[in-house]
Amino acid sequence: MTEAEAGATEGAEVPRIGVFICHCGHNIAGTVDVEAVAKMGESLPYVEYSTHFMFMCADSGQQLIKEKIAEHNLNRVVVASCSPRMHEPTFRKVVEEANLNRYLFEQVNLREHVSWCHMREPVAATEKAADLVRMAVARAALLESLPIKTVEVEPVALVVGGGVTGLRASLDVADRGFNVVLVEKDGSLGGHVAKLASVYPTAEKGTTLTEGLIKRVEKHPQIKVFTNSKVTDLDGYIGNFDIKTETNGKEESHRVGTIIIATGIEPFKPVGYYAYGEHPDILTLAEVEEMRLKGEVLRPSNSKPPKTLAYIGCVASREAGLKGHEHCSRVCCTAVAKSAGEMKDTTDEVVILYEDLRTYGRGHEAIHREARHKHVIYSKFPPEKKPEVEVADGKIKLHWHDVFSGDNLVFEPDMLVLASGMVPPEGIDEVAKTFSLTRSPDGFFNPEHVKLAPLTTHTAGIMIAGGAQAAKSAAEAITDASGAAAKAVGLMARGEVEIESTISNVIEELCSSCHTCITACPYGAISMDESKDPPVAFVTEAKCHGCGTCAAACPSSAIVMLHSTDDQIMAMVEAYLTTYGESEGGAA
Amino acid sequence: MTTAQTKTKAQADWEPRIVAFCCNWCSYAGADLAGTSRIQYPTNARIIRVNCTGRIDAEFILSALDKGADGVLVSGCHPGDCHYTSGNLKLRARWAFMEEAVKQAGIDPRRIRLQWASASEAQIFADGVAKLIEQVREVGPIGRSWK
Repeated sequence: MTEAEAGATEGAEVPRIGVFICHCGHNIAGTVDVEAVAKMGESLPYVEYSTHFMFMCADSGQQLIKEKIAEHNLNRVVVASCSPRMHEPTFRKVVEEANLNRYLFEQVNLREHVSWCHMREPVAATEKAADLVRMAVARAALLESLPIKTVEVEPVALVVGGGVTGLRASLDVADRGFNVVLVEKDGSLGGHVAKLASVYPTAEKGTTLTEGLIKRVEKHPQIKVFTNSKVTDLDGYIGNFDIKTETNGKEESHRVGTIIIATGIEPFKPVGYYAYGEHPDILTLAEVEEMRLKGEVLRPSNSKPPKTLAYIGCVASREAGLKGHEHCSRVCCTAVAKSAGEMKDTTDEVVILYEDLRTYGRGHEAIHREARHKHVIYSKFPPEKKPEVEVADGKIKLHWHDVFSGDNLVFEPDMLVLASGMVPPEGIDEVAKTFSLTRSPDGFFNPEHVKLAPLTTHTAGIMIAGGAQAAKSAAEAITDASGAAAKAVGLMARGEVEIESTISNVIEELCSSCHTCITACPYGAISMDESKDPPVAFVTEAKCHGCGTCAAACPSSAIVMLHSTDDQIMAMVEAYLTTYGESEGGAA
Repeated sequence: MTTAQTKTKAQADWEPRIVAFCCNWCSYAGADLAGTSRIQYPTNARIIRVNCTGRIDAEFILSALDKGADGVLVSGCHPGDCHYTSGNLKLRARWAFMEEAVKQAGIDPRRIRLQWASASEAQIFADGVAKLIEQVREVGPIGRSWK
């Protein structure tokens, strides 16, 4: 009740609202007339100050907010910029630094919800932006400050995936003294790297890399490994996630404080590309590498070593518009150069057909150069006219157009190797669902911010690392792993984190003891306080997740969903609808 | 077709005004993704973010229509995928009653739409907005059928 009282005193003061419209460089200002929107903002009730600025999230933008709060004695702040799912925490921190409660901040989404999705309609987009700002200002006037709450963080990390990323992350977390639950869907650890014959930029076997990590992980007293397992259920919030794991039908429950998703990548099976599956000697690069790891490369058709080889790059990759294949997988160009260069030692002729070459990383170009020195033949084909594969009389025949000579060429290799792109592994849908994570059109998990926060997600306490985030090399994935581990350790070392104070609150005088809220609450957070006569509904704060279902269900309007009150919501509806006719010259 | 033929000039200029309630975890994020993916859809909807569709009271919808909204969209997580386990199921149960209440108030039920769109279903979100606008255009401005 004290918080309600605190809110009431804060709410009793006359609102003094500051409105800040962000250009986001050209992202918003390129479509929305930000100047006009800021000007309109000045005319709104309780607005003391309204302006527009190039980047509100930049240091200078943050400084501007703080200065104006002091200068105009503002007690509410509205920032119209990107999605609150991205920068609400940033701006809440800014207003807090200016001694305003974080719940007195309101964000308008002018980028994801306006400029980016109405790019060709600047007039209508500006009108929509103005409406949204008006709605936010109306809501801001009714905002109340809420107490800041913290919860303890369980000193255990869950790592999903036992490839190099998951192994590295587990070790990094455990070496800092925290417990780890490592869950791997396969029967053994090691993931995709354990299937590689020769890992660039050096030349050790993939298993050499993974075995060292696996040995340390399995011996580590603070790491509990579950193979043949998956996470079937997730409940709770940062610091206190309750998970269920399933191993061969056996279920176990764990409480963890942080989660690192390291689900990795797998090579795409290019069915429908270059006659894959129509001849036994047409294989993917991954299949050939696995053969090389286990021993000699032999043609599946006759168990003899191939004398001539052809590779094709960018198979089922970089195909904009096709679901799941828009990206460049980064690893294939160098992996093909390495495989081809090494195969040239034991074969007569190796040809690489490529669309583009991206040997971008440290030491990658040397591998490319070495392959050429060994007389591996590189031939570029045009992107609009891909090579054609003809399978006849048990032979593979390649037809393609060589860009540099301008000739149409033909080659009959003993074996054709397709460098297919890397895609998220099977079962990724289930992981996305269990952990409520969003994904890019390519199927990889979305980071909280693609540049500024690539390892965290929109769900506090859940990190993504390695191939879970995008196709990348082992070294890059391991860099991610250590970064994500540091994020998790940071949370656990701090011991407690702040959580939302947006929970429901019962106004006892209005409660009619009907029990409707008790059945509505998904968490069993509401019970009847029998010490009162008549008994009234009572919310256990730690159990309340803030969905507001009880507030909507209550027939007596006795439940207030803090920061999402009926008044705050209806003020937005009203602000949108009531001033429309005036601004539009009575079109309605 | 008759609606189109009898349109007055004012109606020809008319653009439907849509209030869209989106849950924070699925549909609001789906709308964000529509933006990041540069999916282009009609500008008519104004999104109000709520934590869960379970938060949405029948009164919000009736009141929005009463205040002049031509349509109301409610968009949330798929049943079974609710961030709060089952808030969307409570809304779904309430929806049947809401549709009835809207009809009884003399409002064409085509003005309200309930849809499920997850955080990764940007296209489904955008298509849903377009679909509701299309429905509302068929019915015409709210003033004609009510008030």
